[in-house]
Amino acid sequence: MLVKRLLILVPLILVVFLAQSYLWVPSYEEQTKGNPARLTRYITGSIGDAAILNPILSSDSASAEIENLVFEGLLDRDKDLNLRPRVAESWEIEEKAYVLTNPNSSRKPEDVLSVLKEARKERFPSFGSVKEVRLLPPESVNCPPVYTKEGKRPSNCVIHYPHRIMISLSKVEPELTKEIEELLGEDFFKDFDLDGIVSVESEVRGEFLQRMKDEFLSLIEENPVITFHLRKDVYFHDGHALTAEDVKFTYEAIMDPKNLSPRAADFEPVKDVEVVDEHTVRITYKRLYSPAIGTWGIGILPKHLLDKKALEEEARRKGKESISIRESDFNRSPVGSGPFVFVEWKADQYIKLKRFERYWEGAPNYHEYVFRVIPDPLTQEMEFYSGTIDSYSVLPHQVERLRNDPNFQNFSGRSFGYTYVGFNLQREPFNDIRVRKALAMAIDVEKIIKYVVYGQGERITGPFPIQTPYYNHDVNPVPYDPKRAVELLMEAGYERQPDGFFKKGDKRLAFTLITNSGNDIRKAILAIVQDYWRAIGVDVRTDLVEWSVFVQEKVGKRDFDALILGWMMGVEPDLYQIWHSSQTGPFQLNFVGFKNPLADELILKIRKEYDEEKRIEYCHRLHEVIAQEQPYIFLYCPRWTALLDSRIVIMERSEDGKIQYRNITPSKTGNYMYDFNKWIKLREKSLLLDRG
Amino acid sequence: MVKFISKNLYQRAITLFFVSIVSFLVIYLAPGKPTQVDPLNPKFTPELVERMRKEFNLDKPIYIQYLLFYNDLFSGKLKSWKDNQSVMKKIRDRFLNSLPLFILGTLITWTISFPIGIYSAIKRGSFVDKTVSLLSYFFISIPGFFFAYILIVFVVKVFEVPVIGMNTFGLEETSLLTIFMDRVWHLVIPSFLGATGGIAILSRYVRSQMLEVLDNEYIRTAWAKGLSPDEVYYRHALRNALLPFITMFGMIIPGLIGGSVIIESIFSWPGLGRLAYEAIMARDYPVVLTLNFISACLVLLGTFLSDILYLFADPRIRL
Repeated sequence: MLVKRLLILVPLILVVFLAQSYLWVPSYEEQTKGNPARLTRYITGSIGDAAILNPILSSDSASAEIENLVFEGLLDRDKDLNLRPRVAESWEIEEKAYVLTNPNSSRKPEDVLSVLKEARKERFPSFGSVKEVRLLPPESVNCPPVYTKEGKRPSNCVIHYPHRIMISLSKVEPELTKEIEELLGEDFFKDFDLDGIVSVESEVRGEFLQRMKDEFLSLIEENPVITFHLRKDVYFHDGHALTAEDVKFTYEAIMDPKNLSPRAADFEPVKDVEVVDEHTVRITYKRLYSPAIGTWGIGILPKHLLDKKALEEEARRKGKESISIRESDFNRSPVGSGPFVFVEWKADQYIKLKRFERYWEGAPNYHEYVFRVIPDPLTQEMEFYSGTIDSYSVLPHQVERLRNDPNFQNFSGRSFGYTYVGFNLQREPFNDIRVRKALAMAIDVEKIIKYVVYGQGERITGPFPIQTPYYNHDVNPVPYDPKRAVELLMEAGYERQPDGFFKKGDKRLAFTLITNSGNDIRKAILAIVQDYWRAIGVDVRTDLVEWSVFVQEKVGKRDFDALILGWMMGVEPDLYQIWHSSQTGPFQLNFVGFKNPLADELILKIRKEYDEEKRIEYCHRLHEVIAQEQPYIFLYCPRWTALLDSRIVIMERSEDGKIQYRNITPSKTGNYMYDFNKWIKLREKSLLLDRG
Repeated sequence: MVKFISKNLYQRAITLFFVSIVSFLVIYLAPGKPTQVDPLNPKFTPELVERMRKEFNLDKPIYIQYLLFYNDLFSGKLKSWKDNQSVMKKIRDRFLNSLPLFILGTLITWTISFPIGIYSAIKRGSFVDKTVSLLSYFFISIPGFFFAYILIVFVVKVFEVPVIGMNTFGLEETSLLTIFMDRVWHLVIPSFLGATGGIAILSRYVRSQMLEVLDNEYIRTAWAKGLSPDEVYYRHALRNALLPFITMFGMIIPGLIGGSVIIESIFSWPGLGRLAYEAIMARDYPVVLTLNFISACLVLLGTFLSDILYLFADPRIRL
C-alpha cells in the first residue's frame, strides 16, 4: 500500500534529516578554545534589545550601553566620580553678570559703575573674583531665536537695554546678585519698567512673550560661561574631524522640539552656544545652574551626517518629502567618535562593534564587541558556562554559586539608586511626623537586606547615592524599636483597642500599602513591611498594581496612602524634581507632597553653587533635613553583581613599550567596566595573576 | 458557488470591521501609556510628555485616533512608537524569522501524529496504544517552558552544541551547506518543542476519528468482501476519517502570526511572538494593533479556506 508506506517513510526521512543536522554544528569546544579570534572578541548577553542608537533620543539602558562605546561626550566621570576630560581637553567656568541701570534713578550710570568698581572685597567677598567692570552703552538686541514646532525661528522681538554694567568674574559667585543689591540699595530699581524695554515687532502671542521675559529679562543677570577646549585629534568613525560645530549641532538637535529629545530638560538653561574657533566652544547659561557641566557627557553627534542638508539628501533617497533626526537611518547605524565603531545590528539578535583604530586614546585591546540579545536568564547562564558569552546580567544567587570557582572572577558594587517606602504626606495619618517615625521604627531593615536581597544591599538614610560625597554618613538610621514605635503612636493620640489595633476617636489606624507588580523584590518587601506594621497594631492592606496603572492612576494622581518604589539617581546632587515643594502637582515627581522651606532653600542653593565643598556642605544639611522629616522610609541601596571569566585581565603598555598585565579591580565607586578599553582575554590563566 | 463565496466574503468583511473597532477600543481603554512617555523618569518634564502625546496623536478624540491609525496602516506609513521603524517592515522581518519555525513545526506535527494515531486505533487496547496514550497526556500537561529548559540542559550537557538563536553565533567563514545545516539544527529543538503538544493532541484526535469510522457498517462490509487489512484501513477507513482535518488545516493559518512567546524567548528566536510581547509591554500600540488586525484577517481567511476546501472534499456538500 502506497499510503501506508508514505505514512511510515515521510516521518522517518524527516526525523533522520533533522537529526543529521547535528553533525554539522560546531561544538562549544570548537567555538571557544579552538578559535583564536574568540580571545579578541568580547561578547555580552543582554535581556533586551536596544531601542534607538542615538544618545540624544534614547532613554533605555540597553541603548545607553552601546552608545557609551560608539559615542563620546566632552567629559565623563573618573573612578572617583570627578569630571574627567574626554573630547574636551580642558575647560574653564567663568561668569558674566549684567546690571541694568535705572534711567529714572537720580544716580547716573557712571556713578553706579564707580560704586561697583570700588566695592570692597572684605565686605563683598564675591567681588574678589572680579576681572573687569565695564559700562555698556544702551543697545537694542534681538531676542534669541525660539524653538517652535516647525523648528528654530527668529523671535521677532527686540530688547532695548538702557546703560548696562557688565561684570566679568573669573569664577561663578552665587552671592553676587545679593551683594549688588546691597551695594546699590533697595530704592535703585524702584519705578523701573522692565517690560517696557521689550518691543515686539510682529504679532507674538502673549504667553510666548511672557516666557521670553521670564527667561531673558532680569535686573541683574548672572550668566555662567563654560569654555571647552576640544582635543585636536578626535575623529568620527568616517574620518571627519570632530569640531566645535558638532558640539553646537548636538545642542541644537536636542533643543529642536521636532526631535522630542528626552534630554531637552538638561539643556534648557543654556542661553547660547558659541563656536569661538574650530576647537573652542563657549556655552553661556541663562542662570546659575551647577549640574549643567555634567550634562556635557552626552555623546557628540556628527553634524555632517545629520544636518539639514544630510537629512534632505536622505529624504530624497527614500522618496519622502522630509525626515527628522528621529526617523533617520542614522539611529540604526550610528557614527560617533567613541572607542568602538558600529558594524551591524540585527534586531533582537545582536549588535556588533569593532574597535576604532584612530581612537585618540589608542584603540581598545578587544578587536570586537558584541552585544547579544538573549531574553531568558537561564539560557544566558548556559551560554556563559559554555564560554560563548563573556558576561551577562547575573543575579546575586547565581554569583553565590560560583564565588569560589577559580575559573571565574566576580564583582559587586553599589548602584546609583535606592528602594524606599513613601508616604502620602497630604493624607491622614501620615501628616503627623510621629506616625511616620513610629512606622519607620517598626521595620527591621537589616533583616530585609539579609533575606530579600541576599545581603546585596546597604542601609541608607537619605536621598543621595551612598557612594557620592553628597551622602551624609553622620545621619544615623532609624533604629528598629517596636516598643518606642508603640509609644510614639500613643503620643500621637492613638489608643490601643482590645483587638490589638490602634484607634483615634472612632477611626482605626488603617491604610493601604501598594507597589508595582512584576518586581519580586518589592513584592517580598511589601509582605514583610505589612507584617511588621500589623505586629505593632496598624491595620495595613496591600495591593500590587500593574506598572503603567501604578504610574498613571496611583502615583500620577496622588491616589495612594503609602507605596514601595525605587529611584535611580545620577551623580549630580540635583533633587529639585523629587523634593522641591513646587513639584507636588499631578504627574510631578514629588508625589509624596514633601514641603519644607529649609529644604527648598537648600535645593535651590545646591543648584546655584559651583564650589564643590559648599555644595557638599549644603547636601549634607539637606540630607539631615529630609531624614528628620521621614517622608520616606529609606530602605537600602541595592548592589549590582557581575561575573567574568578569570582569564580576562587588563593589558597595558608601559612607557618603555613593555606589555604588562594586571587584574581587574573595581573602582571605589564600584564601576568594574571603567578600564574596559584595556581589557583582554588571556589564552590560559597566568600564574602571575593568581588571586590567592 | 460564486454567490456562496461572495456572500461569505461580505460577511467576513463586516466581521473584520467590528473586530477593528473592538480591538482598537480594548487597547485604548486599557490603562497605561507608551513607555516612551514615562512620567516617572525625571528626564521627562511634563512639557515633553505633553509634546510626545501630541506627536502620537494621543490628545485627539478617540474616533479621530481610530481613523488616523487605520489610514496610516493602509497607506503603509505606520511607525512604531518605540524606535520609529516602519511597522510593516518590522512585522515582515519577524514573520520571515518565524516562518521556518512554523512550517517545520507543522510538518513534524502532521507527519508524526497520523502514523501514531492510526497505529493506536488499529491496535486499540494493546500495550503500544496504552503507552502512546500515557505519553500524550504527559506531553499535553507538561508546561512548555519547563520542558524547554530540560531539553536545553540535556542537549547542551550531553552533546555540547549550541541550541539557542537562529544559527550558531560567530559562524561566518564556512560553506553554504554548513550554514544551511546549522540553521536546520537550530530549528530542530524549538520546532520539536512547539510540535510536541500538537502531536499529542492531534494523534489522539486521529485515533478517535479512525475508531469512529472503523465502527461503521461499510467497514464491516469491506471486511466481509475479503479485502486485505491494509485495503480496509488505508483506502476505506482513512479517507473518511480525514474529513474533519480539513477544517483543522484551515485553522492552523492564524498560527502563522501567533508564534510562541515562551519558546521564542527561551531560544532567543527573533520572531513575531516576541515582537508582539515586547510591543505590549512597551505599549507600542501601532505594532500591537497591526498584529491584532493581521491575525484577525488570518483567522477569517483560515475559516474561509476550510469552508471552500470542504466544498471540494465532501461530496455531500454541494451548492
